[in-house]
Amino acid sequence: MSITTTDAKGDLETDPNASKPQGFRRNKTLFIALTHITLIVLSVTFFMPFLWMLVTSIKPIKETMTNPPTWIPSQLLWHNYPDAITYDSKELGYLPFPTYARNTLIITLLSVAGAVTSNSLVAYSFARIKWPGRDLFFALTLATMTIPFPVLMVPVFSLFRWIGWVGSFKPLWVPAFFANAFSIFLLRQFFKTIPMELSEAAKIDGCSELRIFLDVIAPLSKPALSVVALFTFMGAWNDFLGPLIYLVDQHTFTLSLGLQAYQSQHGGTQWNLLMAASVIVVAPVILVFFFAQKVFIQGIATSGLK
Amino acid sequence: MTTQTVAGMWAAAVALVVCATVGEKVVSRQASTDKVTVIYWEKWTGSEAEEMRKVVTAFNHSQDKIFVKYLSISGVDTKTMLATAGGDPPDIAGIWQDQICQFADEGALTDLTDMGKAAGLDTSYYIPGFWDGITFRKRLWALPSTPASIALHVRTDLVPPDVNTPETFPKTIEGLDKLVDRISKKRKDGGLQLAGFLPSDPGWWNWAWSGLFGGKLMDGDKVTINSPEAIRAFEWIDTYGKKFGSKEVQSFQSGFGNFGSPQDPFMDGKVATEINGVWKANYMKVFKPGTPWFAVPIPYPADRPDLAGHTILSQDVLTIPRGAKHVKEAFEFLKYVQRQDVMEGLCTGHGKNSPLMKVSEKFFDNHPNKSIRLFDALARSPKAFSQPKVGIYPQMSSEITVAFQEVTTEQKTPKQALDDCQARVQKIWDTYKAQVAGADK
Amino acid sequence: MNKRDARVGILFALPWILGFMIFTIYPLLASLFFSFTNYSVLRPPAMVGAANYVDLAHDGVFWKSLSNTFLYAIGAVPLSAVIAIILAMLLNTKVKGMAVYRTIFFLPSLVPMVALATLFLWIFNGDYGLLNVAFKVVHITPPNWLGDPAWTKWTLILITMWGSGQAMIIYLAGLQDVPVSLYEAADLDGATFWSKTKNVTLPMISPVILFNVIMGMIGSFQVFAIPYVMFPDGAPARATYFYTMYLFDNAFKYQRMGYASAMGWVMFLITVILTLAAMKFSERHVHYEGG
Repeated sequence: MSITTTDAKGDLETDPNASKPQGFRRNKTLFIALTHITLIVLSVTFFMPFLWMLVTSIKPIKETMTNPPTWIPSQLLWHNYPDAITYDSKELGYLPFPTYARNTLIITLLSVAGAVTSNSLVAYSFARIKWPGRDLFFALTLATMTIPFPVLMVPVFSLFRWIGWVGSFKPLWVPAFFANAFSIFLLRQFFKTIPMELSEAAKIDGCSELRIFLDVIAPLSKPALSVVALFTFMGAWNDFLGPLIYLVDQHTFTLSLGLQAYQSQHGGTQWNLLMAASVIVVAPVILVFFFAQKVFIQGIATSGLK
Repeated sequence: MTTQTVAGMWAAAVALVVCATVGEKVVSRQASTDKVTVIYWEKWTGSEAEEMRKVVTAFNHSQDKIFVKYLSISGVDTKTMLATAGGDPPDIAGIWQDQICQFADEGALTDLTDMGKAAGLDTSYYIPGFWDGITFRKRLWALPSTPASIALHVRTDLVPPDVNTPETFPKTIEGLDKLVDRISKKRKDGGLQLAGFLPSDPGWWNWAWSGLFGGKLMDGDKVTINSPEAIRAFEWIDTYGKKFGSKEVQSFQSGFGNFGSPQDPFMDGKVATEINGVWKANYMKVFKPGTPWFAVPIPYPADRPDLAGHTILSQDVLTIPRGAKHVKEAFEFLKYVQRQDVMEGLCTGHGKNSPLMKVSEKFFDNHPNKSIRLFDALARSPKAFSQPKVGIYPQMSSEITVAFQEVTTEQKTPKQALDDCQARVQKIWDTYKAQVAGADK
Repeated sequence: MNKRDARVGILFALPWILGFMIFTIYPLLASLFFSFTNYSVLRPPAMVGAANYVDLAHDGVFWKSLSNTFLYAIGAVPLSAVIAIILAMLLNTKVKGMAVYRTIFFLPSLVPMVALATLFLWIFNGDYGLLNVAFKVVHITPPNWLGDPAWTKWTLILITMWGSGQAMIIYLAGLQDVPVSLYEAADLDGATFWSKTKNVTLPMISPVILFNVIMGMIGSFQVFAIPYVMFPDGAPARATYFYTMYLFDNAFKYQRMGYASAMGWVMFLITVILTLAAMKFSERHVHYEGG
């Protein structure tokens, strides 16, 4: 590092701009303006597909494939939404999208519950209880992060087949109750930042490890726990390969699989309905993120993912 | 956080697990009361599913012991295999003819030979080409649901008046080529506007080019993908890349709409002729009524007049997966579908020809496809052919498609692409014979 | 360290000890065993020795899918890293409307891959696709994104860029961890934006970069859902046929689970080697606090 940290804070606080040349302030304004412009351009790029998705979701089918594409629908077909939800329901005998959504929710919520409980217990053990072989086992745990899922896919499938779980949701959420390396790592880093003195004081009061974990550590770890919850949520919500292998009946499909079925099965893809369905799938996740993002980022920052 | 909150969280987690288990019970198959419920998985959705549903309903009304439950399953083939492996397959699975050999070799299907014999469903009951498609290693593995034969569809309004009838349309490949040169149009910017014919549209029968030029993909036990006939076929395909420019064709094709939409290239007037199945008429009726068209047998090379009137056969079939719980009841339904009146009703609904030897005049009269007699005659022709009956067909088919794409994207010469394909498939076949097909002989 | 601690510690770690045994070690070893057998979901495994590995070495499609995957990773990993770091640095300037920007950049990571794939399938469409129309407005002939084997991989890499949000969040968290005093000191020295980035920001977040790059590399080896939906069978001519797709096809489509297991083990060895290489490289270039 070529920078030496000098303690110049005091000067700056009294008058932040006093010591800076005139040009600096102009530069700063320019810099902020540039930042804004870049951000807006990038936002438009990132947001364009979604705007397109929204626009298309209320278009008549004929306008979804015009050349050149039109941004403004000739009429606003809000009934595309109920249509998307009830699509095929007569033939299938149930409402596909609410069914897929319910299935996805069941799997996702169970995975989150499993991941949060199991990972926090394990990480607590790695971070704050001494036992023989712990550090070696932790190193092994980190090493397992490099194993790609496809490597384990075939034997895990055979295992679940042997138990008779193929076709049920269990292969998709039960493993979450057995922790995973990434979440353990993340939580362990966080738990390590909590002073040991807190635990020791509690121990003197006669608290068991479980009580310390529940009453002292867990309440302090909400940001990190929410990160694990959110990552698990996103992983389960977006999972495609898992449901593709384990789910068999169409009425047990998740949203990911359901959307694909939409695209490939109905000869003429009903783009407007597909997009309406996608909006329905995506909207709740966006809302969750929008309101949870602060805790989320704080959680990653303080757990020191590095 | 107090102990109560923690206890509450755990209670919530437990409640969730309970909910999920109950939820799974609810979503798992519900059995009907006193009748035997036969679970039937089928690939179709939309109007094709509706037609089969009518058959199912009629069957359920016709007797009081069996209740067939029709379920639309996407990716029905993979799902059936997985469910069979998982020990809980459906009682009936509607798959495709070209998968029968692989499924049979894997032991995923119930042998229907004896039940078929007892029901009088034998070689004399079916058109030979279709019977051949449901038998493998001298055993019966499936019964047809709806079959199809393939022909060249022509847009009457896009070809010159001197060739715009089935009688006057060119019969040979060479004649077709000349016509294509006459009618294809380019836009001002150099892009294609109308292609007289495109070998890659719709691209569903890449394995069949060899056969359409008189070749065979398997000669007895030997893979013969790079037969002289196949190379000739691919060289002919290559002339289309040269004719139109391979880049131009690619970008032209990327703008094609789905076959089940008015933007389908044939309905949209982007291609004047297209090789397609008997069902094409139905799609036109639904998505672009009033499209003027006629069908002729797929052209043959001028020096192979013996190939005149050939066609590709394909079939949707009903199978009973191994491990199905109600084999006898499932077969009752399969048998019901084979009744001449039921089969003709279903095939009329799907706009397809019938797989049965005997066809009523009424079937032809009421059929929505005006050329149904042509498709029926093509199916009965001794020159009609299907894909080779080998367990590695799924791989063989993807390999040939890759070879086809290597030629159309100008990555390899026809001979090179086919030689590579041959070497690869022969290797796969040798391994397969040693490891799979040999195991149960 | 006492006995009671050890008992409690192991009890706490039990979910993972079981998980490690059942969902990692057992499958890893079973996969190794299966890789020496011929095996399908319906047939019991039969030993074939090293035949699967020998076949792999001579399997053109294996090499093709491996090189496709490498090319994709070489393109996608650094590009995503650069974009994610730029986004994170922009968001770290504490301008107004952070929450909205952050959500917008993170949006694509929240969308089920399949929905994303279908959406892009349409945006990249050669005829009525949004992107090509934009190209035509500025009179540039767009490439054939979905049909030209020379371009399809780039199309996928481009699409991956939209998913930079997840890495961005992690970088952003890393940036917020950089002590403000370092920047203030640099400001006093009259450092420019570039020199601050080069001398403060990047070294301080280098461990985060290392972590993200390794995870990104492993992730790109598993690329599956988007090409599976957008380019069935890797069409055209297997230009977008990736390792995991071939592995999946072998296991569940061609019923060659032994062969698929051999592919799995090769993939495992490759990721181990690459991870070790990345760590080795990082010894010289990654700055750890206090080190």
